Amino acid sequence: MIQHRIEHSLMMEKGRRILFVCICFLALLAVFGCKAKPSETPLGTPVSVHPPLGLPAVPIPSDNPPTTETIVLGRRLFYEPKLSKDDTLACAACHNPQHDFTDGQALSKGFGGAIGVRNAPTLLNVAYQPLQFWDGRALNLEQQAASPIADPIEMNQSHEVSVTKLARDSVYREMFQKAFGSEDVTLGRIEKSLASFERTLLSGNSAFDRFEYGGDKNVLTPAQVRGLALFINPQKGNCAACHTLNPNYALFTDGKFHNIGEGVADDGTIKDPGRFHQTRIDSDRGAFKTPTLRNVANTAPYMHDGNLKTLRSVVDFYAGGGNSNPYLDKEMKSIHLSGQDRSDLVEFLNSLTGEIPANVGPPQKKE
Amino acid sequence: MVLKIRKLALLCIAPAILATGCSRKNETAPSGPPLSQNTVSYFKVDPSTAASITGTVHYNGKPTPRKPIDISEDPACVEAHHGKPYDESVMVSRKGELANAFIYVKSGFEGKTFATPSEPVAIDQNGCWFRPRVLGIQTNQVLKVVNSDPVTHNIHPMAEVNRAWNHSQGAGDPPLNRKFTKSEIMIPVKCNIHGWMRAYIGVLDHPYFAVSKEDGTFTISNLPPGTYTLAIWQEKLGTQEQQITISPRQHAVVDFNYKGK
Repeated sequence: MIQHRIEHSLMMEKGRRILFVCICFLALLAVFGCKAKPSETPLGTPVSVHPPLGLPAVPIPSDNPPTTETIVLGRRLFYEPKLSKDDTLACAACHNPQHDFTDGQALSKGFGGAIGVRNAPTLLNVAYQPLQFWDGRALNLEQQAASPIADPIEMNQSHEVSVTKLARDSVYREMFQKAFGSEDVTLGRIEKSLASFERTLLSGNSAFDRFEYGGDKNVLTPAQVRGLALFINPQKGNCAACHTLNPNYALFTDGKFHNIGEGVADDGTIKDPGRFHQTRIDSDRGAFKTPTLRNVANTAPYMHDGNLKTLRSVVDFYAGGGNSNPYLDKEMKSIHLSGQDRSDLVEFLNSLTGEIPANVGPPQKKE
Repeated sequence: MVLKIRKLALLCIAPAILATGCSRKNETAPSGPPLSQNTVSYFKVDPSTAASITGTVHYNGKPTPRKPIDISEDPACVEAHHGKPYDESVMVSRKGELANAFIYVKSGFEGKTFATPSEPVAIDQNGCWFRPRVLGIQTNQVLKVVNSDPVTHNIHPMAEVNRAWNHSQGAGDPPLNRKFTKSEIMIPVKCNIHGWMRAYIGVLDHPYFAVSKEDGTFTISNLPPGTYTLAIWQEKLGTQEQQITISPRQHAVVDFNYKGK
């Protein structure tokens, strides 16, 4: 009995001790954990991004104003293969500046040659998109930036490993110091830097912009002028219903999601649920984000699955009304466009190629 | 105390495991109704009594000259077509024989179920033209849609009994493999891009149909003896019917005549 009591009180004592340790640990975490979390507020020289002709002001999140230092860091990170498991794939592997920030493939190749499920979209003018990814699953560029790094069929590296790898590099430690005030490498800092760099990837001042917004009425060919008229005519091409133009600028996307019938299988089912995966709204089945048409002449192949190889095949696809399925967007209808009309539309699309800004390619070694 | 804490922890964790366990189970549970055993028995034709029908479709009268079709709005089609395209809606030979008529057994197989052929029926988009123009297919048999052209087509069977659909097919794209599940005479087919392209598909739940050739002839073979309604459809000239009784191993001859203007 006594023995039992002693055991009991010993156990009580042990329990109290465990509780005490737990409380102490939590207290320590509260005090030092928070205090130790490095600031993710960008420091350095503020940068105001001046959009080229044909583009509106770049939307900037209040907690990530771009600075020279974060942009330089983001650029280096964008071309950094250490962000992949075997040090071979950078963001630029699929968003290659030589292909106007796409990879020229129908579906992208990720870690170990794994084939992705969707076509790599251009990053040009990505700063204006209200949601990121084909299905809009990221709410902003900061949220988007780190996702492919950890994706097993993309760069396949946990964020912890990425942070550790970068922290071993004195060049990065110095860059993080300049950009955020301490040498600490954090996921939030990586995301913010990448996003700030991506906000500089602007394409405007194309032949179309000089014609439409610059008053140069001779810059487009007659075929391109005819193509523009078809593009905006709701009774003809009706392209601008989703690839929108404004009186003062043109993003060529409404930022919304539409089912155009791409990816309908032989049995009539939709191969990729697209936006539905996020919203679970039935009408979103097979709907994907309207891509920008900026520099579209250089970003073949097309559509979320890269199934259409040429601009002509894209225009033909729409001329035929796409592929029927129960969730087809109401703006999709068979339209009569002659061969000439379709050629003119392709010519117009060729006028949307703007200059890619300087200082967005791979950084020099010593930079 | 330790025990108590452990028990508490267990109490907390157990429902969590149960909850996730259950939801997992729901996700993987089969959603459709249980598969029923396939009990359909197909009708087999007795080869010792099998009969056939042959015949010729005639057009009595002077055929109107075929009109040329203007496909110049798509230069790629002009190049792909090889030669001038002419209207094919009434194809009459010099001897007055009518091609592209669809002849089929309209009734007489009630209660019989025929197996679906495993080989597909092909329709080619070639020279911005459907080839063949008139074709028959069984319900659930695969229609293989081929695009041999250097341009995109958008085939659109305008079905009314079956589900209507349209599908884009670019140059070099693989064939589409589609099916029609219900009998339908006839489904007009167009291309959403090239308005002049036309074809007609007859869907039947048995294999007793034929399309008249250039010389107007047709053959329906391996037919079980019986009394049938034999029907003919022609896209411009309309339909006709004949009642026929076929005896075992008979090679019946049935001709059709359309009156010209």
